[in-house]
Amino acid sequence: MWTQVEHIMQEATSRIVQRIAAFIPGLVAALVFILAAVVLAIVARTLTVRALRGLDFDRRAPQWGLGLLAEWSPARSASAFIGRAVQWMVLLAGLLVALTALDAAMPLQLALSIFEYVPHVLAAAVILAVGFVLAQFFARAVLIGAVNMQIQAARELSLAVKWLVIIVAASMALEQLQIGRQILVLAFGILFGGIVLATALAVGLGARDIVGRVLERWFRRRPDGEPDHLDHV
Amino acid sequence: MASTGLSFSVPGEAAVPAACDVVVGIAAWNNAGTIGEVARAVAHALGRYGPGAGVVLADGGSADGTIERAREALAGMPAVMTVEFARPAIDPLRAPYHGLPGRPAAMASIFREAAGRQAKALALVDAALTSVTPDWIARLVDPVLEGGFDFVSACHARLAHEGAITRSIVYPLFRALYGLRLHQPAAGEFGCSLRFVRQVLDQDIWAGEAAQTGIDVWLESEAATGQFQVGEAQLGPRTRAPTPDAPDLSTTLTQVVGALFADLAARTEVWQRVRGSVPVPSFGEAPKIAEPSSVPDVMPMLEAFRLGYTALADLWGWILEPRILLQLKRLASAPPERFRVDDGLWVQIVYDFALAYGLRTLPRDHLLGALTPLYLGWLAGFLLELGEAEPADADARVERLCLAFETKKPYLIAGWRWPDRFRA
Repeated sequence: MWTQVEHIMQEATSRIVQRIAAFIPGLVAALVFILAAVVLAIVARTLTVRALRGLDFDRRAPQWGLGLLAEWSPARSASAFIGRAVQWMVLLAGLLVALTALDAAMPLQLALSIFEYVPHVLAAAVILAVGFVLAQFFARAVLIGAVNMQIQAARELSLAVKWLVIIVAASMALEQLQIGRQILVLAFGILFGGIVLATALAVGLGARDIVGRVLERWFRRRPDGEPDHLDHV
Repeated sequence: MASTGLSFSVPGEAAVPAACDVVVGIAAWNNAGTIGEVARAVAHALGRYGPGAGVVLADGGSADGTIERAREALAGMPAVMTVEFARPAIDPLRAPYHGLPGRPAAMASIFREAAGRQAKALALVDAALTSVTPDWIARLVDPVLEGGFDFVSACHARLAHEGAITRSIVYPLFRALYGLRLHQPAAGEFGCSLRFVRQVLDQDIWAGEAAQTGIDVWLESEAATGQFQVGEAQLGPRTRAPTPDAPDLSTTLTQVVGALFADLAARTEVWQRVRGSVPVPSFGEAPKIAEPSSVPDVMPMLEAFRLGYTALADLWGWILEPRILLQLKRLASAPPERFRVDDGLWVQIVYDFALAYGLRTLPRDHLLGALTPLYLGWLAGFLLELGEAEPADADARVERLCLAFETKKPYLIAGWRWPDRFRA
């Protein structure tokens, strides 16, 4: 009987040792991946920050509508924020690769599903960044145009345009992230429909005369073509 | 063609040029109402140059009988050439300030005709003008023909409150940049020599989009910076027929100042070496013009400036120094009787906008659009200071401003050469 017990214990020990022996290379590989990811992340962050500072990104970011990035960074620098984001993305990618090296079913599935999702996240980030840049561009164009047309509510008009573009960009980003698709479409329809209806009612009922005067001025320009009768050139 | 006295040439067709000593170019597009008067004045002026004088009529595809009216008015002229030029599609909200879409193509056509006919002197006038007299042509042509000048710029008589973009920005900046006191660098009329015509025809400016609104400033800069003899002809008031799609002030300012800034950016090697300025020979007497009974109302201009400060101060912060913003803040709250834009302040604003244009701090349309309220503020201060002054007083006031531009030019040079230090 002792022989059998001994045999079973030897087999169990052997299996455990085999399992451990099979696991250790994966663990070592995972640790190597993580270490490499840490080094790579630091290098990527340094290079990104240097490249962006070379492009004078910190000064230009607010002009492009990306001033928010600096506000999110403890160093108040948009370059530092993007550098840190790049660092964390590389680290995360390294971690996921390390998980796959462990050859465990669940971490592997998790890693694969996250990797499949990454393109959506990147696309959403690009859409948001472009949205912010466009929002700033259009808001500024409207602001300058409205000021030069002597519209007192120029700032409000510009803010409205800015948020409209940001909301559209955010909706597109959420769509890309596959978050709340139906609710999003519904909410968007209600929001825009509401804005259009409210504007139509406000113009039709409240500001009919003002709009009439503006349109009349617009279409019946002065015969000499100069609204202020001055030859400026 | 021979029976009408008109010889037509179209692009691509080989024309056989007959020699002409003097050529006057008339650029036209749907100007049936005014071209007759212009052509009669031209024909009358060319009478004294004998059979060696000709007219080139550049037409952009008029559909209102412009050609026929011109033909009637020029019936006695021995040499009249009509050329067609391509007129680009123009955004109705951004029509060119000079009123002639395709003006560079019109000019190039006229220049080619003049060069082909070995014209010793060429003058150019716009068919939409209602104030052209035979004296204009003589004053533009004679210095070239008899005095050996290469370029004669037009200097029109103006009221104190007229031509404020020219008085406040274009003339002082052009003078500080290139060192020549050409009073109206954006004027559309000029006289020039065959040497000048050949020189500019060789450049690649004509087809570019920038030329649509910047060709006049470019030609004056080319004359000022090349090895040319440059003069100025004193002409009478310049009036033109109203156009229904004339651009608004902001668009006009963007086009005119944008043209000058673009020229500044393209000729950095030249203007950085120029110090001070010299007067140019002037031809003819500047005619006296009657002052209007009332001066323009400055209150809307002040309101526009104040609204601009309220809404655009953040934007100006990217272009102007903080101390300039502080001065603008004080101005925005100043009562009309104390509202004056100091020369130093205005020069600094214009130079900072020029530097921001070079650095592309903002999209250029936005940058130049943001200048409009500041310009209106300057204009309000200028008009308040002058009151009901004579044009001569306005000229003296502008002369002081020009000296401020010249004195402060090292700031522009330093900012252009070392933008990093400038922006630090």
